Amino acid sequence: MELKVNGARLQVEADPAMPLLWVLRDLLQMTGTKFGCGIAACGACTVRIDGQAVRSCVMPVGSVAGKAIQTIEGLGNAGRPHPLQAAWIAEQVPQCGYCQSGMLMAAAALLERKPKPTDADIDEAMTNICRCGTYQRVRVAIKRAAGTKT
Amino acid sequence: MKRRTWLLGTAGVGALLVGWVALPQRSRLGLAAMMAAGEGDIALNGWIKILPDGSVVLAMPRSEMGQGVHTALPQLAAEELDVPLSRVRIEQAGWDSVYGNVAMLVGNLPFHPSEEEREREGGFGRVKAGRWMVGKVARELGLNATGGSSSVADAWDVVRLAAATARASLVGAASLQWRLPADELQVKEGVVSHPSGRSIGYGELAREAAATPPGSVQLKERKDWRVIGRPAPRLDVPAKVDGTAKFGLDVRLPGMLFAALRLAPVLGGAPGRVDAQSVLSMPGVRRVVTLPAYARSTAGVAVVADSFWQARQALQALDVDWLPGPNAKLDSQAIADTLRQAVEAREGYRFYESGNVERPLPTGAHTIEAWYSAPHLAHATLEPMNATARVQDGRVEVWAPTQVPQMCRAAAARVAGVPEDKVDLHVTLLGGGFGRRLEVDYVAQAVRVAMDVPGVPVQLIWPREEDMRHDFYRPMHVARLRGVLAGNGEPLGLQIKSAGDAISPRWMERGLPALSGPVDVPDKTASEGLFDQPYGFADQRIEHVFTHTGVPVGFWRSVGHSHNAFFMESFVDELAAAAGQDAVAFRRSLLKQSPRHRAVLDLAVERSGWGLRPLPPGRARGVALHESFGSVVAQVVEVSLEKGQPRVHRVVCAIDCGTVVNPQIVAQQMEGAVVFGLTAALHGRIDIRGGAVQQGNFPDYQMLTLASAPLVETYIVASERAPSGVGEPGVPPIAPAVASALFGLTGRRHRSLPIVV
Repeated sequence: MELKVNGARLQVEADPAMPLLWVLRDLLQMTGTKFGCGIAACGACTVRIDGQAVRSCVMPVGSVAGKAIQTIEGLGNAGRPHPLQAAWIAEQVPQCGYCQSGMLMAAAALLERKPKPTDADIDEAMTNICRCGTYQRVRVAIKRAAGTKT
Repeated sequence: MKRRTWLLGTAGVGALLVGWVALPQRSRLGLAAMMAAGEGDIALNGWIKILPDGSVVLAMPRSEMGQGVHTALPQLAAEELDVPLSRVRIEQAGWDSVYGNVAMLVGNLPFHPSEEEREREGGFGRVKAGRWMVGKVARELGLNATGGSSSVADAWDVVRLAAATARASLVGAASLQWRLPADELQVKEGVVSHPSGRSIGYGELAREAAATPPGSVQLKERKDWRVIGRPAPRLDVPAKVDGTAKFGLDVRLPGMLFAALRLAPVLGGAPGRVDAQSVLSMPGVRRVVTLPAYARSTAGVAVVADSFWQARQALQALDVDWLPGPNAKLDSQAIADTLRQAVEAREGYRFYESGNVERPLPTGAHTIEAWYSAPHLAHATLEPMNATARVQDGRVEVWAPTQVPQMCRAAAARVAGVPEDKVDLHVTLLGGGFGRRLEVDYVAQAVRVAMDVPGVPVQLIWPREEDMRHDFYRPMHVARLRGVLAGNGEPLGLQIKSAGDAISPRWMERGLPALSGPVDVPDKTASEGLFDQPYGFADQRIEHVFTHTGVPVGFWRSVGHSHNAFFMESFVDELAAAAGQDAVAFRRSLLKQSPRHRAVLDLAVERSGWGLRPLPPGRARGVALHESFGSVVAQVVEVSLEKGQPRVHRVVCAIDCGTVVNPQIVAQQMEGAVVFGLTAALHGRIDIRGGAVQQGNFPDYQMLTLASAPLVETYIVASERAPSGVGEPGVPPIAPAVASALFGLTGRRHRSLPIVV
């Protein structure tokens, strides 16, 4: 089947029931998207499908064929960072860093929906687990990227 | 002849005295040959290498698991070498003993602070003797480990000395080349210059520097620091925001396969009949491997396939008859009862005794008694346990997210039956450690699986459910605390008797079997935070009864302090209330001999508005103070009840961790430690029934999320002491601080964790 990942059209041979996470990681060697729980509870595997934040560990690849898939690898890079990535660096968010790909993808989906999110919007959208406890910096970094940091 | 003997004797004493301060660090400088040689790289000792472009490579023996060590240690090198931090890179250190973590082992000695204080003032007693001896053994052993909040404390002298020595040789090389006195030369940003206008970069000097003796090396004075003490951005952050950071799970090798594992549901159990044929025909499946129990843990099975998902599918379909083993009756409630009985009926090991707790109570005095308890806990690092291994022709290559590279190497060698020098081990970034990655079970398993597919790299991944059900758990502990208050409320005596499993001897048996003895020595971790508590009770007896329940136990961020701070500080809060005193005033009155603790408490109290700024109705403050890993932390929390559940709004955190290398990392660690400790305080419990852990994934082992995370403010006490721990000391005070605030709100004491309102 054909997948549209970060703007590129990629051919993969996979069981349509295989979760997108493992197609990305094990077949396409795109390891930026992480495995944390396998049951959509932790959000480490968050990617965007047609702009929406989706937990890829329970998303059968067959159901996203033809849709626009964005992973952390497509969010931005060192040369052209996404405003959230710049904010993440400015606020020194990551500790171990394992959850941060998922956090950033969830935040990117939030900002597209709500460019100036309130605290309540952030609370509602950012349900990913960070075991290192970077939450307060995640909140401030989202506000910095949104231009609402006070 | 006699005169000669006398001279030798005097020289011997002199050397011993020098040895106390200088020799241990110099003996750890290492040799240039210890660093991996790259094209054009010049190593100047075992820690520092100069590249042709003048940038610096630091040998890195510690693992980055979020605590910032891959930034803090380069800061030490940048400071003494006078190069910008951005010019320092790291390279995994080799296996020589100079890279061992001496501070971690020395920090685990069960000495009481009062003893240390006495010896600091002069004299030679068992503290200095013990430290000297353990330090010596630790240097010989060279155990390369990241734990005990000790990385900066351990590197503090040796990395600065290595960098300063390298700088001296580089400056010496310029001096020889220019025939100008070294003390007329300056170094700025890795360029040596002379007022006459000459200048030359480190890259051009390195080759000659390698042959130039450093002469007398002096560390910079504090007032000249430019990098130490500054909030430098972390070097690992850019790769952690664009997906390029490589964790253990991200290792990718040509032709690699993936394995999923399932261990026997009952702790210590094993697979009986395994019907491998039923899954070998499933898509992508290559092998079914039976895994023996590693070091008396739990046995299981693994399926190897082309992708993890295929391996996992097959594993779920695999028909296995599980044998329960000896632990089928293990039960959390029964363990709790056993511990309580142990406190009541068994002799404890006395970690500390002062005054006379047996003396008759003065008239008007009374005793207050309370029982406290804390459950088993899982680490739940977000990156599940995993390792990648390739076994071929008597050689083993391993990629592992680990806190103990040497122990992994030894385990890999044991499993594969090869000498340790036939094992190459690559340490990746760790997606959280918290003590779980001080164990090597998952590395041993990966090697065992890889042996069945020779030459093919295999990545073994634990599903989350296995990670939670086969952890080495924070042990359950209970404690009985008794305090004596005089008629006027003055505190007189403190007796604590606790019970719970020892961690250190079990860990030694698993990871360092050659050094493990037949009898357990008293494990400081069981009583840390109790026997060495800072409050000046005249009469004290602090003892612990060691149990052996059979539950696999391990080091969990802040270890014994994680429960003992809750026991101790909650009880102090009870005593304050019974004495009719303010919780802060009561503590201050007991800290007359502990000015360091009092200063930390005062700072948190002052910034929090305690006693000055009233809170809105329905909100209460709570306070706790605790020393761990050489650092003192006080936290003042603001708590309310929302829909009947505790909600922590604000945490004012003060810390004295000695000299600070990077205040921004200290703040990060305090914030993270509060969330880690609060998660445990409000939600954390592992229940064992029928020998099996009941929790399996995040819904039933709940984590604090962003919406319920408090705002943490960090304040640092200025200090010129040597650096002490940062990664763990923020965890212990949060549970008792929250319990104290809840008492203010509801009038109810919470004496067991997790707190259930």
